[in-house]
Formats: sequence, structure tokens, C-alpha cells
Amino acid sequence: MRHTILLAAALSALAFGAVAQAEDPFADAVEMRHGLMLQMATDMGKLGSMAKGEAVYDAAIASRSAENVAAIASVLSMDQFPAGSEYKAAADSFALPAIWATPDDFMAKITDLNTAAAALKVASATDVEGLKAGMGQVGAACSACHKAYRQPED
Amino acid sequence: MRILRWLVAVGVIGAGGLWVLARPAPLAASAVEGLSGDITRGEAVFWAAGCASCHMAEKAEGDAELVLKGGQRFASEFGTFLAPNISQDAEHGIGTWSALDLANAITRGVSPEGEHLYPALPYASYAKMQMQDVVDLYAFMQTLPADPTPSQPHEIGFPFSQRAAVGVWKLMFVNTDWALPGNLTPTADRGRYIAEALAHCGECHTPRNALGALDTARWLAGAPNPSGDGKIPNITPAKLTWSAADIVQYLTTGFTPEYDSVGGHMAHVVENMARLPESDRQAVAEYLKAVPAAE
Ligand code: HEC
Ligand code: HEC
Ligand code: HEC
Repeated sequence: MRHTILLAAALSALAFGAVAQAEDPFADAVEMRHGLMLQMATDMGKLGSMAKGEAVYDAAIASRSAENVAAIASVLSMDQFPAGSEYKAAADSFALPAIWATPDDFMAKITDLNTAAAALKVASATDVEGLKAGMGQVGAACSACHKAYRQPED
Repeated sequence: MRILRWLVAVGVIGAGGLWVLARPAPLAASAVEGLSGDITRGEAVFWAAGCASCHMAEKAEGDAELVLKGGQRFASEFGTFLAPNISQDAEHGIGTWSALDLANAITRGVSPEGEHLYPALPYASYAKMQMQDVVDLYAFMQTLPADPTPSQPHEIGFPFSQRAAVGVWKLMFVNTDWALPGNLTPTADRGRYIAEALAHCGECHTPRNALGALDTARWLAGAPNPSGDGKIPNITPAKLTWSAADIVQYLTTGFTPEYDSVGGHMAHVVENMARLPESDRQAVAEYLKAVPAAE
């Protein structure tokens, strides 16, 4: 008897979960922007291990990673941030409502990232010192946006 | 409930006659005598201590960070504090203050009028500052622009609106003891000075007791975010398992070992730390490694 109740509860939870998912209009956008952000983090990681001396500096690998970051930066736009997909309103979202209160400033932060990523492309192809300086600039562009527009996780 | 306990404590201590002791206790007039300020060193103190992060306008960037016009809001359990104008404006800022006035405000929490300042200005940390650093800081701040924006009143109710009540709090909680006591290596010792006296890492990362004072037994063990959502992480070795190189990188570029990038108030701290020499960031990393693990 107890098992039946538990099973019924589990099934209805599953069903409810499925419905909730199907009805979440922002799931795709949130997943998309998370994917883009994570890919940038992965490429910055390759550059960072060279900067920290954990990997040998390789101009070709460094350039490719820098190019990836620049390519993703060029794709970022309000398209991945539809109105309403904010922290607490959309599942898994840590995007702050300030994005939609000051969209021009948010877009300016994207432009800043593009500028820094373009500089990184050039700098990372020269030497480790150039790479470090370029990473500092990109890091500042990432965190300038996170500071204003992203809810820190618990 | 918490407020009740606070009131009871204040009442009990007050009845005990401590009110007299709790009067503002400024420094001796000789405290800064014979010291002369160095602007370059003062600039490093200014960034390490994070003065601009609180006293610049909300969201200021670039040169605007040096316009210390105030206005940012700081929520706490006791109400909302508004950072005052500390620019060089003679009327609305601190343009007429002496070095001793500044030293009294930031290391003793006492205004030139002899009133208590609220610990929202982290003088519980700055109390450990070396006087030479204060005088250097003063020299640098005098090079900053004046701004005529009037300071706004705090939004706090009785009894906290009574500055006299702060005196008892200070007696109980402001001292110059290190949270991490004892002899450290010279590098970790420098890190302790930056982290505990200047950069006030503990003000955010250490939980508070019912009276709003830092719980030094759980130093840097993480705390609720006073501005509402989320938690400020535990950065003792119990949770922060990053290498010293990882910590240095974080304080330089804002990248975590996973290459996520810093956000929230910590982004200001990273910007400030990034302006210091690399050796100072290494010192902070070594200090964090020496802090006892606390859950
Ligand atoms: C224009 C603003 C902006 C810029 C620039 C930016 N980010 Fe983000 N980032 C965000 C926002 C907003 C979120 C939260 C998105 C969400 O949870 O829906 C986020 C989230 C992330 C996440 C977490 C993803 C997840 O799965 O939860 C990572 C990692 C990240 N960013 C890395 C980076 C890196 C690395 C850079 C720089 C190369 C960068 N970001 C630049 C706005 C930005
Ligand atoms: C965490 C935020 C914060 C930081 C960091 C901070 N302050 Fe303040 N400061 C405040 C608040 C809030 C007040 C108002 C206190 C009060 O009214 O009692 C204040 C008050 C002051 C005052 C008194 C102004 C007056 O008109 O009475 C001075 C001077 C001052 N701060 C200087 C500094 C300097 C210099 C630094 C860096 C060494 C600094 N502050 C760092 C928040 C901060
Ligand atoms: C104004 C509040 C504040 C101050 C002051 C502060 N921090 Fe932080 N710190 C935070 C917040 C908020 C986060 C979470 C940031 C995020 O999620 O991006 C954080 C994150 C960190 C992290 C990353 C922890 C992790 O597991 O991801 C480290 C390391 C850290 N802080 C060290 C320091 C040090 C060292 C100092 C002093 C030099 C300091 N913090 C001062 C608020 C603060």
C-alpha cells in the first residue's frame, strides 16, 4: 500500500516535471546562453593553463582558443536573453532583471568583450606575456558584465 | 527577535554604567605627528582598502570611480545605509578634513564633530591599519576631484538611528587583534595585513552574530548575502581547495580554476586587488591557505 502511494506520487511528480518543462518558454534560450558561456570558459581555460605555466605555450593553440572566444562574443546578443528569462522566473537562470532595465549598457558590455577578444587574438599569438595581458583584458570584460547582470550562485 | 536581543544587550550594558566608557574615543592629537604622506603609496592603500567600491556612484567605471560622491545603498539587518560624499568638496565632502580627522573616521569610527560613525564603514577592520598608511591614503585622496552632491540620510529606524548606541557595539567588537593570530611567514603576514586590515575580506565572508558583529570563530566560513539572495562563499581551506596559483589568478583576472568569471561584489574586490603588485596577491593567497578550515 505504502509503495503504491509512493509510486503514484513519483509518477505524478514525473508527469508534472514533464509538463513544466514543456511549458518553460525560456528553456532553450537559457540552455543556449549557458552553452555559449561555458564554451568561452573552456577556451579561456586552455589559454589560462599556458599563462599559469601548466601547459607549454603554443602560439597555434593559443590563437585558436582566442579566435573561438572572439567568435562566440560576436554571437552574443539580446537573442539569447529574451525578456522574462530572469533569475527566479526562468529555471536555471542567473540573469538579473537589470539586463532588461538597461539593455543599452548590457549591449555595451558585449561590445567591450568583442574589443577585448579581438585584442586577445593578436596578443595571444605573440608570446606568454602578451597572452597574460590579453587574458587580463578579457577577464575584466567578463567580470564587468557578471558584476552588473549575473546573480552570484549560492 | 535579533533586534530584541540587541536591545536587551544595549540596555543591560547601559545600566551597567558603560555608557560613559562608550563615548567616542578619538586618537591622540599626536597620532599622525611627524608622518608625511606619499601619494603613490597612498593610491595602493586606497585600492587595497576598497574605498571607491563603496563611495563612488553606483556602477561608476573608469575615471568616474575616483569621484567619491557617495549615494550607494548598503542593506543590513538594521536598515539601509547610504554612503556619504567623501570627495574633496569643502561643503559636501571632506575637503576641509585634516589627516587626523580621516584617521579618526576610518580607524576609530569617530567624526570630526566627535560623533560615532556606523560600522557600515568598516572601521572594525581599518582599526588595524598602520598610521603611515592612513597618512599616505590622505595624501592620495587630496589629489581626487571635488563633487558637490549632498550626502543622503541613512534609512534606519530607532534605536539604530541613535549614534550613541554604536558606542557600546564598538566597545564589544572593535579591537586590533588579528582574526588569525600568531606568527606567520613574512609573506602570509603581509597577506594578513591586506586581508584583515585593508581589504576587509571578513566583512563579507565571515558570518555575523545576533548583534551584527563578525563571528571570528568562523572566520571566512561564508555568510548570507546581506543584499538578499544567495550566499557569500566559504573561503577557508574547508571549501576553497584552490591552489595558491589559482587564488592569485582569481584575484588578478577574476577567472576561477574552471574559468568561470567573478561576479557580484567580489568583482569590485578583484578589480582592486588587480591594481596591487603581484607579490601582494601572492601574500593574500598564502594567508588564505593559513586560515583554519571552518565549515
Ligand atoms: C554581456 C554580459 C556577459 C559577458 C560579457 C560575459 N558573460 Fe558570462 N554570463 C552572463 C550572464 C547574464 C550569465 C548568467 C546566465 C544565466 O544563468 O542565464 C552568465 C553566465 C556565465 C557562466 C555560467 C554558465 C552556466 O552554465 O551557468 C559562465 C561559465 C560564464 N558566464 C563565463 C563567461 C566568460 C568566461 C566570459 C568572458 C570570456 C563571460 N562569461 C562574459 C553575462 C555575460
Ligand atoms: C563597505 C562600504 C564602505 C567602505 C569599503 C568604505 N566606506 Fe567610508 N563610509 C561608508 C558608510 C556607509 C559611511 C557612513 C557612516 C556613518 O554615517 O556613520 C561611511 C563614512 C565615511 C566617512 C565619514 C564621512 C562623513 O562625512 O562623516 C569617511 C571619511 C569615509 N567613510 C572614508 C572612507 C575611506 C577613506 C575608505 C577606504 C579606506 C572607506 N570610507 C571605505 C561605507 C564604506
Ligand atoms: C563586498 C563583499 C566581499 C568582499 C569585501 C570580499 N569578497 Fe570574496 N566574494 C564575495 C562574493 C559575493 C563572492 C561570490 C562571487 C561570485 O559568485 O562570482 C566572493 C567570492 C570569493 C572567492 C571565490 C570562492 C569560490 O569558491 O568561488 C574568493 C577566493 C574570494 N571571494 C576571496 C576574497 C578575498 C581574499 C577577499 C579580500 C581580499 C574578499 N574575497 C573580499 C564577496 C566579497
